[in-house]
Amino acid sequence: MTMLRWCDWVLRAVAPLVPHDIRRDWLREWRAEFAYAAARAARLNRPMPLTSSTRALGAIAHAAWLRWDRWRIEMIWQDIKHSLRGLLRKPGFTATVVLTLAIGIGGNAAIFGAVNAVLLRPLPFANPDQLVRIYKTNLAQPNQIGGTVSPPDFVDYRRDNTSFTDVAAYAESAYPLIGDGPAEQIPGAQITGGFFAVMATAPALGRTITDDDDRPGARDVVVLSHALWTRRFGGDLGIVGRQLQINGLSREVVGVMPASFQFPLQSELWMPIKFNARDLETQRGAHYINVIARLKPEASLEAARQDMRRVAARLAAEYPRTNREASAAVHPLREALVGSVRRSMFVLLGAVGLVLLIVCVNIASLVLIRAVGRGRELAVRAAIGAGRATLFRGVLIESALLGVAGGALGLVLAYWATGAIAALDPSVGVPMINQTRLDTTVIAFTLLVSVAAAVVFGTMPAWQATSITDVVSRIREEGGSTTSDPKKQRMRSFLIVAETTLAVVLLVGAGLLGRSFARLLAVDLGFESASIQTFRVTLSDSKYAQPLQRQEFFDTLMARIAANPGVESVGGNNGLPLTRFSYGISTSSVDGRTLSDEEQDALTLQIRLVTPDYFKTMGIAIPRGRAFLPTDRTGAAPVVIVNATAAKRVWKDVDPLGHELRIGTRLGLGGEAAGGAVVGVAADVREFGPGVPAPPTLYLAYAQWPISYLTVVAKSRGDAASLIEPVRATLRDLDPDVPMYAVRSMEQLVSNAIAQPRLYLLLIASFAGTAMLLAAIGLYGVLAFAVGQRTREIGIRLALGAKRGEVLRMVMTQAGRLAVTGVAIGLGAAALASRALRSQLFEIAPTDTFTYVMVGVGLLIVALVASWIPARRASRIDPLAALRHD
Amino acid sequence: MRKLSITAVCVLQAIAGGFQYGFDIIDQTGLPSGTVYPALGRLERDGLVKSAWESEHDAHADGRPARRYYKLTAPGVKALSESAAFYRSLLPAGKPRTARG
Repeated sequence: MTMLRWCDWVLRAVAPLVPHDIRRDWLREWRAEFAYAAARAARLNRPMPLTSSTRALGAIAHAAWLRWDRWRIEMIWQDIKHSLRGLLRKPGFTATVVLTLAIGIGGNAAIFGAVNAVLLRPLPFANPDQLVRIYKTNLAQPNQIGGTVSPPDFVDYRRDNTSFTDVAAYAESAYPLIGDGPAEQIPGAQITGGFFAVMATAPALGRTITDDDDRPGARDVVVLSHALWTRRFGGDLGIVGRQLQINGLSREVVGVMPASFQFPLQSELWMPIKFNARDLETQRGAHYINVIARLKPEASLEAARQDMRRVAARLAAEYPRTNREASAAVHPLREALVGSVRRSMFVLLGAVGLVLLIVCVNIASLVLIRAVGRGRELAVRAAIGAGRATLFRGVLIESALLGVAGGALGLVLAYWATGAIAALDPSVGVPMINQTRLDTTVIAFTLLVSVAAAVVFGTMPAWQATSITDVVSRIREEGGSTTSDPKKQRMRSFLIVAETTLAVVLLVGAGLLGRSFARLLAVDLGFESASIQTFRVTLSDSKYAQPLQRQEFFDTLMARIAANPGVESVGGNNGLPLTRFSYGISTSSVDGRTLSDEEQDALTLQIRLVTPDYFKTMGIAIPRGRAFLPTDRTGAAPVVIVNATAAKRVWKDVDPLGHELRIGTRLGLGGEAAGGAVVGVAADVREFGPGVPAPPTLYLAYAQWPISYLTVVAKSRGDAASLIEPVRATLRDLDPDVPMYAVRSMEQLVSNAIAQPRLYLLLIASFAGTAMLLAAIGLYGVLAFAVGQRTREIGIRLALGAKRGEVLRMVMTQAGRLAVTGVAIGLGAAALASRALRSQLFEIAPTDTFTYVMVGVGLLIVALVASWIPARRASRIDPLAALRHD
Repeated sequence: MRKLSITAVCVLQAIAGGFQYGFDIIDQTGLPSGTVYPALGRLERDGLVKSAWESEHDAHADGRPARRYYKLTAPGVKALSESAAFYRSLLPAGKPRTARG
């Protein structure tokens, strides 16, 4: 091949890249240059220079540049303008796609935001992967999450382990802070000296608490949270060194933590917890502290687990009375914080992902319909010289425009939804849910999802639609064909079936959760919640050191509150139902017989110290015996009331009245172990939520065991909230240094107790509703289009004598077949998928037949309604007009 | 003023110097053809050069097809002098002064 021919070959090979209108000039220019070079060489009687061959390669770059330059201009102006015009001409189509996409993307971004906050974003501590919780567990379930530790066990864990750089303990509570403003109850934690070393967080001001601070006899100090420091002390830089009255002790402020430090969640102050030698000797059975630790950089989680099991086994051998059945579990801190909700969060993400999938399928079928509808336009453009690439680019840009619009609107929805999620109270049972933000990760996720959704699902069918090979058939088809292309019909049918399937899965999930929730609501909690206001009062140990002082304080408080004309009745309890308050103590003797260790462990009772009118105020029935009387007080014979479950557990079928029972503690008050003769049997109360059976409960008379705190319940003659201010005034009159806190109505507590399942149901149900709507839109769209395509065919049928009812039936049958297929596959898929919900369901099996039947029938009805409109239109076609139809 | 790239200045300078055909510009500037032709395309798009075909008569007399030639437009002349001045100002201070002096 001569040099000139080679160059020409390259030019011809590259030419198709050059935009069509300048291709001839481009070829002419390059050929002329090569010809000139060849002519000059010939004139000099030399061969064509070798550089010509490399110059020919430059033609490739030139052609590519021309193509890009043209696309750039065209893309920015022509195509966008053209696409926008096209989209605005079909506002129904555009609005449907944009809204559909926005719902899918907005929902996904919001749920992903929540998942990101709860499960994915690193905890805000240094090397958070090294942080673990250590639990004292039972040999039966050695790896469970949860299990507080006793101080002596903690000291042994800390001393004997080989896996951790440090181990620390904390106990959460709330402490009254007085002076510098109104008395206030501040949530906080008592911590051991190693706490801040484990968390590895430096203070914003001053210093943190160290090992020197938790020794008995050390100065009383406190570290404040950033929130407390700014809220109560106005960010006073001179705070360090000041003395504050906390929990009845004067404590020196030694430091302020940065705003980012929140551990334990919601803590606003940290004080050292001091174990004296006697605590460490006697408290091995008293489990009330939480243990955290930091893994050594080289230690693995598995090694740490084995290490702790070894330590626990040694303690079990050494202290069989308290540790016989005990083991120790190590879990990453994140797992400990959010392990319980991980599964439901991923189910939610999966559900919202299904919605997005439906959105994509819907968009695919809508774009397909539109592309086919534009078939003639595309075919004509192809016929007058537009390449497939050009046509495809148009559709691509259209999809991108829809994607951008849908993504933008979706982001607005997501912004609104993440705001709503972040406003949720983490006490609904999803820790850190209030940290949900629309941050860069979430926005990046949204962009990725929207662009991918639009481009993949918008262009896949478009590629098919712009296929040049059937230009001729397309033009012909548009003119005179009577039926549509069966291949495309199949594709549309497949999309409809897929959409129905996905919708069924979501609807079954929502149905199961809905039925489960209804059963949860129907549970009898054992008390009434209407018009009851509650709040908590804690007396400081220094000012109210004597039991009689406390007894007198609460007696007076109850009497004064009861004197308020708006109050129907008032009572008190050391811990209310549905507040996650658990105070379990093992029974030591029944009817004078001391129980064996095994029997004691098996008979742990929830202890509630209540005032006489507690049962009346809460509407808790006393079917046998009596409630406490004002005369049941210190000095009188000790009496107890058991609930029905405890009565059955302890005395089986024997009437418990008059029998005697004691628990293994003096409640810190000296004297004999708490307990007494049974004077009444109370109805069961679901202390731990509607889904958890009532625990065996022992009620003691507060006046016989006056501890330092009570939660007051006051039943109002009107609105519960109307009592708050008068009662606050009463308390202030009695002692201005005693704060009123945890002010909540009983109805709020009940509502909180079902907040998590309600939220879950609400989310899944809204996804399912959206899915059903989208499936209906999709079905309607496809059928309406199919009827439009078959106008001529149907016209011929009618002209040949087909009855309108038959046409109606024909279209409905087509729709019905698709819907039935989708529903059948969907029910099967739901039976598999609903297993993921098992832990969320209350008294409902994941395979609940009723739900499946209702969803199946319901969706079929929706499908029939959606297809009725196009079917009716088909049956009303005028045969004459149809035959003239283009 | 939009600053022209060195490549664009070289190409414009070559055209101003009388090298009006594609391959001549390539020879003159020493730039590869894959650089010069897109540069010419850009300059023409921006209105700094204009192209035309040489007369068929002359070319046929030479026994070859007509070539496309490029010439500067008025904005092209202005842009070249401004950009060239800018690039010259980047040179070590001595030289231009001596040249002027």
